[in-house]
Amino acid sequence: MMHYIEVKNLAFQYEEEPILENISYAVDASDFVMLTGENGAAKTTLLRNILGLLKPSKGSVQISPINRIGEKLVIGYVSQQVASFNAGFPSTVLELVQSGRYQRGKWFKKLDKDDREHVRRSLDSVGMWEMRHRKIGELSGGQKQRISLARVFATDPDLFVLDEPTTGMDTNSREEFYKLLKHNSREHGKGILMVTHDHQEIRHYADKHIELVRKEDSPWRCFSMDSCKELSKPHS
Amino acid sequence: MEMFFHGFMQRAFQASFLISLIAPMLGLFLILRRQSLMADTLSHVSLAGVALGLLIGVNPTFTNIILVSVIAIVLEYLRVVYRTYSEISIAILMSAGMALALVLMGLNDGGATLSMNQFLFGSIVTISEQQVWMLFVLTIMIGLLYLIFRKPLYILTFDEETAFTAGLPIKTMSVLFNILTGVTIAVTMPIVGALLVSAIIVLPAAISMRLSNRFNGVILIGIVLALIGMFSGLVVSYKVGTPPGASITLILLIVFVLTTLVKKISYYIKIERLFKRNDIL
Repeated sequence: MMHYIEVKNLAFQYEEEPILENISYAVDASDFVMLTGENGAAKTTLLRNILGLLKPSKGSVQISPINRIGEKLVIGYVSQQVASFNAGFPSTVLELVQSGRYQRGKWFKKLDKDDREHVRRSLDSVGMWEMRHRKIGELSGGQKQRISLARVFATDPDLFVLDEPTTGMDTNSREEFYKLLKHNSREHGKGILMVTHDHQEIRHYADKHIELVRKEDSPWRCFSMDSCKELSKPHS
Repeated sequence: MEMFFHGFMQRAFQASFLISLIAPMLGLFLILRRQSLMADTLSHVSLAGVALGLLIGVNPTFTNIILVSVIAIVLEYLRVVYRTYSEISIAILMSAGMALALVLMGLNDGGATLSMNQFLFGSIVTISEQQVWMLFVLTIMIGLLYLIFRKPLYILTFDEETAFTAGLPIKTMSVLFNILTGVTIAVTMPIVGALLVSAIIVLPAAISMRLSNRFNGVILIGIVLALIGMFSGLVVSYKVGTPPGASITLILLIVFVLTTLVKKISYYIKIERLFKRNDIL
C-alpha cells in the first residue's frame, strides 16, 4: 500500500539560494501530522512542493493516486491566503461551500440530497449555517477562515493539507476544529498534514510532529528537518 | 421604427443581441481573474490582425482570429512568467500589438486608412451576414462551454491553487479561456471598435457584480444590462450618427453611475430605518 504522501530527500532552491534540504517523510491514512517551524521556515514552500505547485530542485514527492479503499484519492487543500477572498467575489457562503462537493465526482452532475447534507453539516461544524446566504466578500477574516474549512470538510477528502488553518479563530473554535480533525483521522482514516504555529495546542491531537529547523552549517537561510524531531505521538 | 427596415440595422441588432449574451460571461471571468485589461491588450493586437489582413488581401477577420489566438497563448505564458507582476505581460503585448498595427498600416501605403477607422471606432453599417453568423456560432459555443464547465470555472476564478489541487487542468483552461476571449474580441471589434470593445465586455459584468450576491445572478443581470446598453447605444448611434462603440460605452457608464447612486441611497435608507427601529425599541 502506497503512502498518501511520500517525500524523499526533497530539496528546493529559489534561483541560486537553497531554501529546503534533506526533507524525507511520509503521511499515511489515519496519520495526523503537524508541521511546525519558525516564521519564514519555508513551511508553506514545502506544502506547495508536495502539492505540485512548486517543483523540487532535488528529490521526489509522490502522492498516492488511490485512497485506502482503492478509489481515487481526493485532496482537500486550505491555503494560507485562501481566506483573503476579494471583497467583490460574487458568491454566497452556501455556493462556496457547495463547490467543495464538485471534487466528489460532481463537476458535471447536479448535487444530490447527500451532497446537500454534507454541506449543511460542514457549515454547522464551523458555526456558519446561519450565515449561508451572506456574500463571502462581506465576511470578517475569522468567518472567511471558517467557511474555507467548511468547504474542505464538505469535500470530505481522503487527505487534508492545511496551511495555518486556524488563523483568526478563538481558542474554543480551535479546540473544536482540532477535535473534528482528530475524529476524521481516527474514525474515518483521513490523512492530515497541517502547518501550524499552535504547537502546544495541537500536540494533544496530532500523531506526528515534523519541525523544520535552520541548517547551521549553511551560509543561506536554509531549512531542513531533523529526523529526531519526527515523533510518534503518544499523547492522545 | 424606420431604422428596423434597414438590413444593416437588423444585422446590427442581431449582432448586439449575441454580444450581450456572451460579454457578461467573459467579462465576469476576466474581472475575477484580474485580467480586465487583457481584453484591451487583445483588442490592440486585433488591430494588427486587421492591418495584416488588409495588407495581404485576406479577410481581416480571419487573420485577426489567428493572430489574436496566438497572442492569447503567449499572454498566458507571460502571465505565468511574471506571476507577481502580471500586468507586465499586458503592457508588453499591448504596445507590441499597437506597434505592429501601425507598422503594417504604414506598409499598406495608406490604402486601408478608411477600413482601419471602421475597425478602430466600429461601424454598424459594415456588419455583414457572415459576421452575424460567426457571432451566432461563437455565442452557442461560449454558452455551451459555460453551461458544461461553470463549476470548474467557478473554482478556477475563486482560487487557482485550489483548482490545481482539485485536479483541474488549470493551464489548459486558462489558455482556452484566453483564446475564446481573443476570438470574441476579433469578431466583435468591427462592430464596436477596437478602442472600446474591452469596455463593452467588462462593463456589464462590473455593474452587475454590485447588484447580485450569486455567481449566476451576476451573469444574468449582466446580460440584461448589456442588452439595455447595446440596443439603446445602437439607436442613439443611428439617430445621432455617433460611433456605436462610444454610444454603448457611455450608456453603460450612465447605468454604472445610476446603479451606484441607487445602491448608496438604498443603503442610507436601510441604515436610517435601522436607527429608527432601535429608537422605538
